[in-house]
Amino acid sequence: MTAIALRMTGADFLKLRKKRSTLIWALVLALLPVIVLFVVRAILHSSTPSEHPPAGGIDGFHTGLRLLGGLFFGPLVAILIGVEAGTTDASNGVFRDLVVTGRSRLALFATCVPAALLLCWTVITTGYALILLGTFAFASNLPTPSGSLILNSFGFLLLASGVLCAVAVGFASLTTSKPGAIIALIAWQIIASPLISSIKELGSARDFVLSQGLAHFSPLSVVMGRGDNISMSGGKALLVVVLWLVLFLGLGAWRTRTMDA
Amino acid sequence: MSDDLAIETHGLTKRFGERAAIDGIDLQVPRGCAFGFLGPNGAGKTTMIRTLLGLTHASAGSMRILGHPVPAERSVALRRVGAIVEEPRFHSHLSGRENLRIVAAVRGAETDARIAPALARVGLSERADHKVKSYSMGMRQRLGVARCLLADPLLLILDEPTNGLDPGGIQEFREMIRAMVEQEGRTVFLSSHLLDEVEKICDAAAIVDRGKVVTQGPIAEISRGGDARNELIVGVDDVELALRTLATNELVQEAQRSDDGLRVVLNGAPDTAAGVNTTLVRAGVGVARLEPVRHSLEQRFLEITSRLDEQAPDEVRA
Repeated sequence: MTAIALRMTGADFLKLRKKRSTLIWALVLALLPVIVLFVVRAILHSSTPSEHPPAGGIDGFHTGLRLLGGLFFGPLVAILIGVEAGTTDASNGVFRDLVVTGRSRLALFATCVPAALLLCWTVITTGYALILLGTFAFASNLPTPSGSLILNSFGFLLLASGVLCAVAVGFASLTTSKPGAIIALIAWQIIASPLISSIKELGSARDFVLSQGLAHFSPLSVVMGRGDNISMSGGKALLVVVLWLVLFLGLGAWRTRTMDA
Repeated sequence: MSDDLAIETHGLTKRFGERAAIDGIDLQVPRGCAFGFLGPNGAGKTTMIRTLLGLTHASAGSMRILGHPVPAERSVALRRVGAIVEEPRFHSHLSGRENLRIVAAVRGAETDARIAPALARVGLSERADHKVKSYSMGMRQRLGVARCLLADPLLLILDEPTNGLDPGGIQEFREMIRAMVEQEGRTVFLSSHLLDEVEKICDAAAIVDRGKVVTQGPIAEISRGGDARNELIVGVDDVELALRTLATNELVQEAQRSDDGLRVVLNGAPDTAAGVNTTLVRAGVGVARLEPVRHSLEQRFLEITSRLDEQAPDEVRA
């Protein structure tokens, strides 16, 4: 059973990594902002060093992490890849051809999640490597992040992008519409989440915004936009993340199992 | 329930709201033959196939595929089934070989070894590493068949398989299907609205209309319908003399004038036609033509469907 699952995951990964448009957009979103960030900061520093500190160091690292993991470009990468994984068989009309093999529909759904995670984490890791390169290459005399901060930040990036990617797979499988799922998830993540987090009258209901649950695990403040970091216990943050995963993976699995192919 | 049957259904029904797309279908498809599922567009052919394959749930009835009850033993039943439902679809950004690798991964490790032979069998080895988006419709159909062959199928279910093929491709396809049945012993269940296609490829058929199977059996039996008479068209130079001669002949049940000469109904088997010829020639009648009347599936199909139209003129076609 494990061997079959690995083979099916490999097949799903093949579909994703060969989807050139999705892969190129994901790489652009993960790499371009980081490149622009360090290049602009380096130019500013070289032109007026008294007003602008060196591009790298801990400050550059922090800004880079906010860009990639700060619930903006990293999440876009996760959403693009997750939605592609969740809809590729249905949108290409091959879902029925996989169903007629007799393989369980739940297995077909389940194996596309690790495939999406694998590609998402590959892209995010590339972006993070670029941040580290800029951080150390342009550090000059500034302090650089410690080994533990680097590891913790990497762990956070994998967690945040992975959770969002898995949620995107589930949501996309539920809707079976690629454009619809992308628009809805980006709107939620980029517009609605910061907005809801900023409405103090909502009280503890804001804790259930996924970004807030994930932000709890970040070693640095990464929440962007008007939303503040809402403090919550580790257990509650974990509960929020697990609830989102269970809800959307469950809905995606249910839809895959019951829909007409 | 018999293990000699590749497909067996009893009272199979699929409803979409109030409308029954297939309505109480009892079907028996013997193993080792090409079986046509024949009906006009909208008769319920694709719904029947989708229901058999578990792509949609049946509303009522029972079915068995290769002896296994479905959906209870669906995964076992479909292990040796290959199917093309409607037009074959693929990941167009992948090559033909990669598309097969994906299905092989889902079917199991033993399937990998069948990819190259399947591509060779349908004549796609040279184009296997090209992206599917560069394939013609005919190549996609062939790749669809290659995908079916990954299952080493005992049963192939093909939905309108010659759609979009040119005449050469259709001929090639017919030969491939016949070879699968005659040389490899596979069962082919083929849905089509093309009477000629079913008549040329299939050994047996079922005619479906408005979600119901109207008749089923060997093609020759269906074509003849209830009329098992042996009939001849006879072209003669003297119709009157021929009619007088045959009126008293014991080989002839009935003879009458027709547009093409005479229509003669024989008392015995078709080989008694030679006796009719001898009788006419001995009586001095010149015989220019002696041809058995061939009952076509098309004729029978039109008879059945037009009769149904008369019975239910207001019924909206499913």
